[in-house]
This record gives sequence, structure tokens and C-alpha cells, in this order.
Amino acid sequence: MTADESELRELRAAVREFLEAKSPEEAVRKLMESEPRFDPAVWSQAADQLRLPGLAIPEEYGGDGFGRVELGVVLEEMGRALFCAPFFATVLLAAQALLASGDKEACARLLPGIAAGRTTATLAVAEDHGSWDPAMVSARAVPDGDAGWTVRGRKCFVIDGTTADLILVVARTVAGPTLFAVERDAAGLAAEPMETLDATRAMARLTLDAVPATLVGAEGAGGRIMAKVLDIASVGLAAEQAGGARRCLETSAEYARARHQFGRPIGSFQAVKHKCADMLVQVELAEAASREAARLADEGSPDFPVAATVAHACCSRAYMIAAMENIQVHGGIGFTWEHPAHLYFRRAKSSQLLFGGPAVYHERLLDRLGI
Amino acid sequence: MESDDMRDFAAEARRFLDAHVAKAPDRTALTWGEGDDSMAYFSSLPLEEEREFVQRAREWQRIRHENGFGWITGPVEYGGRGLTPVHDLLYDAIESEYDVADTGVLSVIGLGMIGPTILAHAQPRIKDRWLPAMYRGDAIACQLFSEPGAGSDLASVATRAVREGEDWVLNGQKVWTSVAQHSQIGLALTRTNPEAPKHRGITAFLVPMDAPGVEVRPLRQMTGGADFNEVFLTDVRIPDDHRLGEVDGGWTVALTTLMNERATVGSEGVGPVAAALSPDHLSALMRATWTWDDRALRARLAELLVDVLATEHLNARALRRLRAGVAPGPEMSVSKLMYGQNLTRAAHFVSDVLGPRIIADTGQWGTYAWTELLLATPALRILGGTEEIMKNILAERVLGLPKEPVTAAAKEVRP
Ligand SMILES: Cc1cc2nc3c(=O)[nH]c(=O)nc-3n(C[C@H](O)[C@H](O)[C@H](O)COP(=O)(O)OP(=O)(O)OC[C@H]3O[C@@H](n4cnc5c(N)ncnc54)[C@H](O)[C@@H]3O)c2cc1C
Repeated sequence: MTADESELRELRAAVREFLEAKSPEEAVRKLMESEPRFDPAVWSQAADQLRLPGLAIPEEYGGDGFGRVELGVVLEEMGRALFCAPFFATVLLAAQALLASGDKEACARLLPGIAAGRTTATLAVAEDHGSWDPAMVSARAVPDGDAGWTVRGRKCFVIDGTTADLILVVARTVAGPTLFAVERDAAGLAAEPMETLDATRAMARLTLDAVPATLVGAEGAGGRIMAKVLDIASVGLAAEQAGGARRCLETSAEYARARHQFGRPIGSFQAVKHKCADMLVQVELAEAASREAARLADEGSPDFPVAATVAHACCSRAYMIAAMENIQVHGGIGFTWEHPAHLYFRRAKSSQLLFGGPAVYHERLLDRLGI
Repeated sequence: MESDDMRDFAAEARRFLDAHVAKAPDRTALTWGEGDDSMAYFSSLPLEEEREFVQRAREWQRIRHENGFGWITGPVEYGGRGLTPVHDLLYDAIESEYDVADTGVLSVIGLGMIGPTILAHAQPRIKDRWLPAMYRGDAIACQLFSEPGAGSDLASVATRAVREGEDWVLNGQKVWTSVAQHSQIGLALTRTNPEAPKHRGITAFLVPMDAPGVEVRPLRQMTGGADFNEVFLTDVRIPDDHRLGEVDGGWTVALTTLMNERATVGSEGVGPVAAALSPDHLSALMRATWTWDDRALRARLAELLVDVLATEHLNARALRRLRAGVAPGPEMSVSKLMYGQNLTRAAHFVSDVLGPRIIADTGQWGTYAWTELLLATPALRILGGTEEIMKNILAERVLGLPKEPVTAAAKEVRP
């Protein structure tokens, strides 16, 4: 299904209204310090009232079958509000990994719960080194003789890793990196929260000690699955980043109009004015890059993989610049704990480096362009 | 999603182009060492060759016009086709696949900026006389706006126009006037009321460039060529029917031109410039210079390409919105800024890849030729509104930031 421009506007307005009510700054600050780092009641409402978790899951698996463009609108709004919820890990990492695996049985078993908002999920790939490259995975899986598998190893940077009901794990078999499903309460699984630069996105370290697991997709298909998932997840991340960057720009412009020094609004000083214009340029490019990538994904265009990397790189930089300059425009007050500017700064830096950062995405872009 | 009408129009355009010209070689899919390695943005041709070049431009414009593609959006009464900007864009996209003469000398300023201004503000006799001539390729037009004392602050133009009976007499100096040396007409901003606040004392005139008292002196630019000029106006007598808009109402006229200017700059993308920004071209260059595995250069290349490709996405979205009938928004100014910045960064990136080969000509194909682009790029951050002025506009008009405080001196016209 695809929504036209006016339906997209309605979707955006509905999500914004919901988040303004349910995820104002005070709520975000409270959740940053609580466990779990999200409000299960609000999460249920997002699922029941707005049907957000199932928005882009195919109808055959209980979702509403919309595309990435619609998903992008939702993510822009979530990024703008720093919404603390298991949405990114569940919908953009886990559900996409299941879909990318092509494993119809696993999808039919696991996706309806995700779509309905009953199951939260995540994807555990990176280990101590932080790389999302499945070739770097050292966790191992061996058959347990009973058509099942057991997984051993350590995973790091697992988003929502202490709370997710379902954990998809990439582990190595003799055939290569492979995707497995592990239940939250499986024997031998331990999860401990990691302290994070960005407290609005929880991360955990997992220890898997002969944990029972189910194979998802073909053995050895982990590399192919991850290539797809990373493209889609980084475009989703890009939308979040574009939304956060837009919010920083708006806050700065508003402050520059209102704050007076030397008898005039600081926005009439060109150094400040041009900073805001530079932020606007970044935000416009970021929105164009992320929305265009989403559109190409929905069209199944061969240009999508390049566009996905462009969106990831462009939005990562734009958000970081916007979040940094937002503090500068605000002066001392922007450096206080009370002011929300640092929450965006933290989110911007952590999003930029989540999948490896410039060193990784620049090479990925060149690789995709055949350079 | 193209309508039948668009499909028919596109088919007609292709029939016309197939009948008259060959398909263009794909400049981005190059074979290293083969073909033309020119990277010229501005012309650096000797005058004689330059004249031939202009002649070819006029000739192609005449053929376009005879076949109904010379002025796609123009009113039928002046020889236009009466179609929409979308048809125009569609035609441009199709024509870019063909090997046609470069008509920039007529189209960028004359047809892109002055034509729409004449259409909106000139008196009927002037429209009848000049519009068909311009779109037939007979008349080239230039923009006589900037002066030595009035650049960014265009409203402080000091060239005087004084009424004498049915005529006006113009005295003053214009500067940086592109294509004046080839032009038959120029659109001049003049001061008609030195007492009024500066925006309200300006009047616009169409100046026949062969009128007595008009003197064009080529001005050599940093590239070595002379694309722009100084234009001296000494007792130039212009009939009142050459006036555009009201007496003292020239600022409105100027705004029409400037609006069209910002829409044209930044939407270019053919020829050497496209090659300079194409991933294939840049990667071929790195392979040819054995630098393709230099990690520092690769990181910079990736950063450059992210901006180039994101800007393309911005333009593609603007185009799609335009097709859906939504007027262009701030992305046009963003696009113009990025156009200058992307080319500037590309030129410097390539220079670093080439190393010494850009400081002295080794004779190797595709190397020293980049000096042409390198030396052109500073202009792209100045012409059509400097980067700083574009940022003021974005911040004030889009973000609603307060304007510069206006001092008493800023309201006056200083001689
Ligand atoms: C290649 C080329 C072709 C051109 N063709 C034409 C043409 O055909 N017709 C025509 O009329 N003009 C033409 N121009 C002129 C062009 O429009 C002006 O050069 C431009 O508007 C800047 O004016 P200026 O050169 O007087 O610089 P100035 O206005 O003196 O600017 C000098 C510096 O000061 C900065 N500055 C000025 N005011 C402000 C401000 N308010 N805030 C912040 N910074 C400011 C500028 O950004 C710039 O960096 C051309 C210029 C070039 C380079």
C-alpha cells in the first residue's frame, strides 16, 4: 500500500500529536533513568491506537503493509521527539531481518506478534569490537542433534537487549554467518545493560552460554541477510536523524529570534544567521536523501543500495552539525543538563557511529559505486 | 504517471531531435584518454572562434524555434508554445541526451531571466519587437544590473536616467556584464529619483546595445578569458516606450529577473560540469593516477559524493513536486549554494589527486585541463547572489530570522 501526499501529512500529524502527548521532554527524561527505558503503557497505545509496529509489515504477517516512505514519516517524528521505545530494534532490525531471511515459517510464527505490538525484538550482531560486519562475528552455533541449535558467544551494543522478548542472533556455523532466533528467557542467556552515551537508546551486553536457538533462513545466509537489513535500518535511522536535525534547527531559529544581546536579536548577527542557514542546508539535504532513499526502496529500484548509503552518511553528518550548532546558538544555557540540546547531541553522535561511522559508510558508498 | 499529453509531447520532441541531431556520447561513461578532455566552464576561446560558437548557438535556437521548441512556456502571440514549465523541463531532459550546440550564451541570461522580465513588465511594442527575436535566436540579451558601487547591494545603483521630452538620457557605468559583447539588448537598472529611498528611485529600461553612447569593454576574468564586460553608458538616448514597469518602480522589475536567476543557476548539469561530479569519472581519474587506494583521498571522495548525490536527490524531489504542480520552495536556494560548493570541492579534490600535474602541463590527457574548472569555481560562489547573500535570504525568508538593522546610511544612495 502507498499513501499519497495528503495521507502522509495526516499520518505525520497523528504521530506528532501522539508523541507530543505521550513523549514530552519530561517523559523522555524520566525514561532515560528508568528500567525498562520505555513506558510499556505508551508502547501498547502506539500499537493499539496508531498501529505503528505493524505499519510496514506485510499484511500476510498481520501488519498493514505500508512501505518505507510511510515508515520514514513515523521515524522522522520519533527522532524529533527522542521517543524512547523498542521501535527501532523491533521494527527496523528484527522484523527486517526476519523478512530478509525469506524464511516464511519464521515470519509467520514471529511477525504477527511484532506487528501487534505484543512482542518486542532486537538483532544481536556486533561483538566487543562493535562491527556490524557479519564476517567479523565469532559467536558460534552448533546443531544440538534435535533439529535445534545451541549458540555460544558474546554480543555487545545490542539495542534493547535487556528487554526484548525475541533476540535474533548472528552466529557462525560451518556454513558461515547464520541468523538464529533466541527467546528472552532461554536457558544460558544473560543480558546486562551497558552505560550509553545516549540514554534514550538502551544497549546491552549478552552472554550466550549454550543457549537453545532456532535457525532462521538458510545456514550461511547471514551475510546476505545483514546486507539487506543494514540498508533498510540505516535508511530508517536516517529518517530519525533527519527528524532530530529538523528539531534542532527549529529550536535554534526560535531562540535566535527571541534572545537579545547588544540590543538586538542574536539572529540579526550574521555569524548566527549564517549558522542557522548552514543548518537549514544540512537539514534540507538530509530530508531529501532519506526520503528519496525510502522511495527508491519502495520502488524496488536498483539505485536503492547507493541511495541508502548516501542517506546514512548525509543524515549522520547533518544531525551532528545541527546538534552541535544548536548548542552554540544557545550559548551557556545550551550546555546545561536542563536544556534538551545535549539529548540531541548525544543521540546524534550515537546514531552516527551506531553502524560503524564515517570510516565504514564512506567505504560502503565507494564500494557500491564500484570505486 | 506521465499523462497522455506529456507522452505525446515527449514523443514529438524525440521525433524532432532525431530528425535534426545525433545522440550525445555519454560523457560520464568515459574511456580514459579518449575524446575531449576540456573542463571549461567559462569560454576561453579567441574572439573569432567565440563568434562561430555564438553563431552555432543562434542557429540551433532558430531550428528549435521553427519546430515549436524554442519557447515552450511562452505565450503563443509572441511565438511561444503556451505550455507549462513541466513541458519545458521535460524537453530539456530529453534534449540533454542529444549532441546539440551549447546555447547557454542566449539561454541562461537572455531567455532564462530577461525574457520573462520583458514579458511581465515591458510595453506592448517592445514585447512585439524583441520577444520573438530573442526566442528565434536573433537577439541576445544581457543583464545590466551590477555597478562598481552596487553589487550585493543592488538597490544602490547610481547610473542616472533623466527625462528629456519623450526620451530618457542614461549616464553611468555597469560592470561584470556577461555576454554584453554578443548582445543586441540589455536590461538596465537606473536611478531616476535620487531623493527617494533607494529602492523607490529606480527605473528599468531596455537598452539597444547599438545605441550611440553604449560602449562595451571586455573585462578579463581570472580564468584568462573575457566572458564579462564593463559597459559604459554616455548620454544614451532611450525612448520612453523602452521603459519597463513604472517610473521609479524598477525594483519590482529587478525582482522578477532575480527570481528567475535563482531558478536557473543550480539547475545546470550537463557537459564538463556533470563529468566533474560523476562518480565514474572521478574514479577513473583516481585509477589513472594510481591513487585509488589512498585512504585519505577515498574518504574525501566519499564525502564529496555524498553531497553530490544528496543534492541530486534534492533536485529530483523538487522536479517531481513541480510536476505535481507544487511551487519550488527553499530547496532552490539550497541547490544553488550546493552547486557552487560541490563544484568547488570537486575541483580541489581533483587537484589533490593530480598533485603536480595541475601546476604544470605534462601533456597527459585529462589532467592539466582541470585548471579550467578549478579557476572557474570561485565565480560560482559569487554570481547570481553571493553565498553570504543566499544565506541571508534563507535565514530571513525561510527561518524568519530578523533582517540586518538598517542604518541611515544604508537607505541612501552613495555616489
Ligand atoms: C562570472 C560573473 C558573472 C556575472 N555576470 C553578471 C551579469 O551578467 N550582470 C550583472 O548585473 N552582474 C553580474 N555579475 C555580478 C554579480 O552579481 C556580483 O558580483 C555579485 O552580486 C556580488 O557583488 P560584488 O561583486 O559587488 O561584491 P560585493 O557585493 O562587494 O561583495 C563582496 C563580499 O562582501 C560580501 N557581502 C556584501 N554584502 C553583504 C551582506 N549584506 N552580508 C554579508 N556579506 C556581504 C559578499 O558576499 C562578498 O563576499 C557577475 C559576477 C560574476 C563573478
